[in-house]
Amino acid sequence: MTEWTSPALILLAAAILIGLTRGHLRSAVILVAPLLTLWAIWQVPDGVVGTVRFLDYAIEPVEGSPLRRLFATIFSIMAFTGGLFAFRHARWYELSAAFAYASGAVGVCFAGDLITLFLFWELMALFSTVIVWCGGTPAARKAGIRYAMMHLLGGVILKVGIEGVVVHTGSIDIQPLLATNFDTWMILVGILINAAAPPVSAWLADAYPESSPTGSVFLSAFTTKTAVLALILLFPGEPVLIGVGLYMVMYGIIYALLENDARRILAYSIVNQVGFMVCAVGIGTQMALNGAAAHAFAHIIYKALLFMSAGVVVYRTGKNKCSDLGGLFRTMPLTTICGIVGALSISSFPLTSGFVTKTLISQAAIDQGLVVVYFLLAAASAGVFLHAGIKFPWFVFFQKDSGLRPKDAPWNMAAAMVLFSALCILMGAFPEAFYRLLPYPVDYHAYSPGKVLFYLQLLLFSGLAFFVMLPWLKRTPTISLDTDWLYRVALKKAFSVLADLLGSAQERAQRSVQKLLQTALARIQRHHGPEGVLARTWPTGSMVLWVAIMLASYLILYYLL
Amino acid sequence: MKQAPKSDEHWLARPRTIRQLWIVFIAILVLTVLAQVFIKVKGYFGVDGWFGFGAAFGFLCCAAMVVLAKALGPFLKRDDRYYDD
Amino acid sequence: MIESNLPALQVVLPLVAAPLCVLLRRGSLAWLVTWSATWATAAISIAILLRVLDAGTISYTFGGWEPPWGIEYRVDIVNAFVLVLVSVIGAIIVPYARRSVGAEIRSEQHYLFWAAYLLCLTGLLGVAITGDAFNVFVFLEISSLATYILIACGQDRRALVASYQYLIMGTIGATFIVIGIGLLYLMTGTLNLADMAQRLSTMPLHRPQLAALAFLTVGISLKLALFPLHLWLPNAYAYAPSVSTAFLSATATKVAVYLLLRFSYSVFGQSHVIENISVEAVILALSVAAIFTASLVAIFQDDVKRMFAYSSVAQIGYITLGISLANQNGLTGGIVHMFNHAVAKGAIFMLLGCVALQIGQPLMAQMAGLAKRMPMTAAGLVVGGLSLIGVPGTVGFISKWYLVVAAIEKGWWWLAALVLISSMLAAIYVWRLIEVCYFREPSPELEAAGEAPLSMLIPAWVLVIGCIYFGLDATMTAGTAASAAQSLLEATR
Repeated sequence: MTEWTSPALILLAAAILIGLTRGHLRSAVILVAPLLTLWAIWQVPDGVVGTVRFLDYAIEPVEGSPLRRLFATIFSIMAFTGGLFAFRHARWYELSAAFAYASGAVGVCFAGDLITLFLFWELMALFSTVIVWCGGTPAARKAGIRYAMMHLLGGVILKVGIEGVVVHTGSIDIQPLLATNFDTWMILVGILINAAAPPVSAWLADAYPESSPTGSVFLSAFTTKTAVLALILLFPGEPVLIGVGLYMVMYGIIYALLENDARRILAYSIVNQVGFMVCAVGIGTQMALNGAAAHAFAHIIYKALLFMSAGVVVYRTGKNKCSDLGGLFRTMPLTTICGIVGALSISSFPLTSGFVTKTLISQAAIDQGLVVVYFLLAAASAGVFLHAGIKFPWFVFFQKDSGLRPKDAPWNMAAAMVLFSALCILMGAFPEAFYRLLPYPVDYHAYSPGKVLFYLQLLLFSGLAFFVMLPWLKRTPTISLDTDWLYRVALKKAFSVLADLLGSAQERAQRSVQKLLQTALARIQRHHGPEGVLARTWPTGSMVLWVAIMLASYLILYYLL
Repeated sequence: MKQAPKSDEHWLARPRTIRQLWIVFIAILVLTVLAQVFIKVKGYFGVDGWFGFGAAFGFLCCAAMVVLAKALGPFLKRDDRYYDD
Repeated sequence: MIESNLPALQVVLPLVAAPLCVLLRRGSLAWLVTWSATWATAAISIAILLRVLDAGTISYTFGGWEPPWGIEYRVDIVNAFVLVLVSVIGAIIVPYARRSVGAEIRSEQHYLFWAAYLLCLTGLLGVAITGDAFNVFVFLEISSLATYILIACGQDRRALVASYQYLIMGTIGATFIVIGIGLLYLMTGTLNLADMAQRLSTMPLHRPQLAALAFLTVGISLKLALFPLHLWLPNAYAYAPSVSTAFLSATATKVAVYLLLRFSYSVFGQSHVIENISVEAVILALSVAAIFTASLVAIFQDDVKRMFAYSSVAQIGYITLGISLANQNGLTGGIVHMFNHAVAKGAIFMLLGCVALQIGQPLMAQMAGLAKRMPMTAAGLVVGGLSLIGVPGTVGFISKWYLVVAAIEKGWWWLAALVLISSMLAAIYVWRLIEVCYFREPSPELEAAGEAPLSMLIPAWVLVIGCIYFGLDATMTAGTAASAAQSLLEATR
């Protein structure tokens, strides 16, 4: 192993091995490779480890820092637990894609320069698309292509920005930037697309719920959180991000309240939670960046846990709509309990991981005197409990009895859920140990009695509001329109209108041109086919005509000059 | 609501249990507010130190969000086969 | 002895092997001859490239006649690169071709096919290596005539029409080129390209020079299928035998691109003609038009070979775009894309040949469920497709990186954006294929089919792996292209 080998390559090799092996050997690869990666991550020292020539640049495939290791750690833990959750049920190519996807995420963590970052960034886009497709339904296929197009667009924008920065500054290093010119704006926009920021947040809730029960667990973890990491590395303290983050927080709550699909509720709440992190990056103090990183860490665990519990339900019942579910706590006690632990964590209930991380962000807002931000985040915390903390477990596991009596989770899925539930509670109970992993020194105590009491009031009365207003929250078999309407409906309509218009215009133009040419070129033009002008198999005569036109225009052009 | 005949046998689904749960829940709610007599909640911006502020803020914000979602519903909600053509 | 005669052997070897194939008259013997000749040729080209990298430009004179009187073979880094490209691809295809040719061409014609293949290779190598303008024309005709045969061998009767169309167009192109060369000869009194360049640089501007440039540009544009002179290409590629398509798409247009480079930079580079007119603007506009229209057309094709043929027109657009940018990075991007596109498209057409072996002409509908029956073929097509899109980690990324950097250096944001947006068009047509291959139940044609034989898969996968390898380690390809670009730019003032 050469010194600059990224830990990401272990997962990438595992992705290939998954395709080549069978049976127990494959299971072993799935379970061992992430742990090996985790070990390798902690072998990476601080600073740039080595450089490689690529194109005309000295790229730095591996650069270590506490922040980078923190994200890489949770990504590899996620790959392990996701593998444990999925290895007996998912098809091999889904697992293989998931590991390649995770390897992209780990690769981004250690990317020392913009080019490496972009390489791994696109690796993620590619294989996450495959995971969406592994949903296997026609809806998944369509959602997958929309997902791919969105990320391709994001990649294009990011690439323009990166190349602009490279050309204009001559530096490919990853360093803090501010969105001050075209190049940096493009980079910011490219990253924000992956963070599911407005106005394109819709891609996330569109794609994730269409994947398989196991696929959505992987999807929930990597793309948006690497975007958060990239923002921390490149745009700490960029003021635009505060507004963007707050919008995402509120967007997620409102759409989740309207939603009927269990996994889509969770997808909207990813946008909501990433909003907290983006907002924290915008605040940009050491406390805030600690908060963003810590919250991303905790979020991956509890959000995966929630997606696992929803995944078990979908796997056992084949249903994903709240209006078809309910009363499952009777036969799925373990899944219910784990789902509730995840729900409490996301709501930042005291003694769960969410509490010790989200309050870091609130504290950062307080320290900077950002009154409005602080109160909006507090309101959002209440809203999170409303839409994810109670709504999700209530409608899936309790409410009316749907008559469904599915078996509880298979052992491996149960083990994965218990592992993450335990992590949620351990992190919540012993925050000091976790705080030591954060990039900056932490001088903060999560459990002051006043703070705990404030959050208990806030959350419990949100719960009261939920039950009091329950009739207003009744599930309807509906979806909610979003900006994706623009490209799923409006664009299609515009295209057909345009095609009609163009068709008739073209016909008219063609007719008049033909009339003109008919006399002189009647013979040549005779064989016009029914297809578009350029797709047609041209008769030799008209090709020759083009040659003549080209030559004539060159000669005239040269003559004039 | 379609009730499977056996469902009422589960203790959590019995109306009596549910009533008891509500009583416990309300008791906890009252306790958390009253606790502010003994435990000082630090007000960073003035208002958030008021008595019962967290409770009122949480309830009202959630109510507002539910109302907002409800109000947006007619504009945003479509049948779930809307895109399936 | 051998070492000093390498430039001559480069061309003579396939030239001698061709009639040998005809004399042997046995398909398998002819294949063996072709196999040995092409691999030896490839080895020679690599040896030449190494020598050029080491010692600079090689000049080789025939019969002791010093240039500019005698014929000179002149190899600098630019054409050494092209020689390697053409001969290596030409060699990799031959082992692959045995089964494919066996299935697609009548057995009594095999030896003729191989003779034509070798002649075509001879012509292409000759165009690339020679330093003599008239020699360029002669070799161009050799390769063109052989190409017509390679295309006309196709099973589909439309191959004959396609070949006939290409014959007409190719002849016009060649005529234009010879007119251009003739005008230059009239003006300068020499046929040696280096000598010509030198004399042009000292000459005042005359109209015939302009006419010569116009004739040459149009003639070469025809050969390289620059939009809107690409019309012969889709049918020729679609209906030719798989082996011919793979070979021609990877090499023939690239040699024409080389000619464009040679004439516009080396020959006219120092003349007063170039100072006064801007060929670049025209080629730039046509390149962008090619990229967009051809990609759009490709999206709507149902014949997969035709789809990728249109995609070739678009990809050639990227190459000429790089040339028209006329700065270090742009030229590097254009030149490296000659190589990258050759690898990717060669791989794709070879894999389509695997499909053709099992089910005949690969149409979209018939390729449904390909991944279930021919997983390696389908996977290779995906990698090739990703290269066309320009996904990082594939060769396409390298080319587009240089092109975009070049556009940004000029401050042309719109062009950078256009280049990148066009990759989304490529994504659409590649996606169509992926969807069909991976998300449909196998078509009745594929139901009974299995994976293609290893003799075809291995050479195809060599190129597929090349798509990834040269996407990750571009020191060799981009490095050579960069020095080629530098040497071309140095020739201009």
